[in-house]
Amino acid sequence: MKHLLEVTTPSDVEIVMTRTFDAPRHLVWNAMTKPELIRRWLYAPEGWTMTVCEGDAKVGGSFRWAWNGPDGKPGLTISGVNREVVPPEKVVHTETMALGDGVPVGELLATVVLTEHEGKTHLRMTLLFPSKEARDGALASGMDRGVRAGYEQLDEILAAMQ
Amino acid sequence: MLGRLMHGERNLTELAAPLRMSFPAASKHVRVLEGARLVRRRIVGRTHLCRIDGKPLGQANQWLENYRQIWEAHFQRLDDLLDELKAQEKQPRSTQGDPR
Repeated sequence: MKHLLEVTTPSDVEIVMTRTFDAPRHLVWNAMTKPELIRRWLYAPEGWTMTVCEGDAKVGGSFRWAWNGPDGKPGLTISGVNREVVPPEKVVHTETMALGDGVPVGELLATVVLTEHEGKTHLRMTLLFPSKEARDGALASGMDRGVRAGYEQLDEILAAMQ
Repeated sequence: MLGRLMHGERNLTELAAPLRMSFPAASKHVRVLEGARLVRRRIVGRTHLCRIDGKPLGQANQWLENYRQIWEAHFQRLDDLLDELKAQEKQPRSTQGDPR
């Protein structure tokens, strides 16, 4: 059976994602907290390579994920610190993003809650941004990728908006 | 580029530099984003200042759907990994050195 991701914006500064996985909770927990498993599913655009995937799933522990762009130079780094870690059900961590080799900008608070029911796991991920502008920018970054993909996807989106 | 604008208004040079884009390429990119009403540009003297546009309702839904599709791609890979982990758990552990 196919489970679909639902994305909602319950307030001006939040993005909430919910989805069900056909696996018990401890496996989803492992896949989301162990660096060697994270790097197997965390998506990178074509041509990008994950160069760093490390994390310490403890309160006060930090994590860092980095990718090189298609030109082989640093492209994107996402890093943060765990504020709350309750295996295998809840993680709260800060998250900042740096482009190229620039300094990290912005900071959001991510809360991940996993609940298990009849062998399936329900995920609820809440991203809390410091402002509406930051939240909108994160949402719009998907559109940006469409622009980079050669304007074709954007053309489709624009046609759909008519 | 929209990621750069999350943190407020930026001029074209600031937008182009970290992306290793030329000024004309950045200007073209902004023009497309303007056309899509994602970005608004104002010109002060010789400086082009860009910011994220306030979004009409229909567009907001489109942003959400686009964002959803990107994350759906992550989670479909996670589905595959979880299938693999489930299969591993079902295998007997006799080959492992774990005394439990």
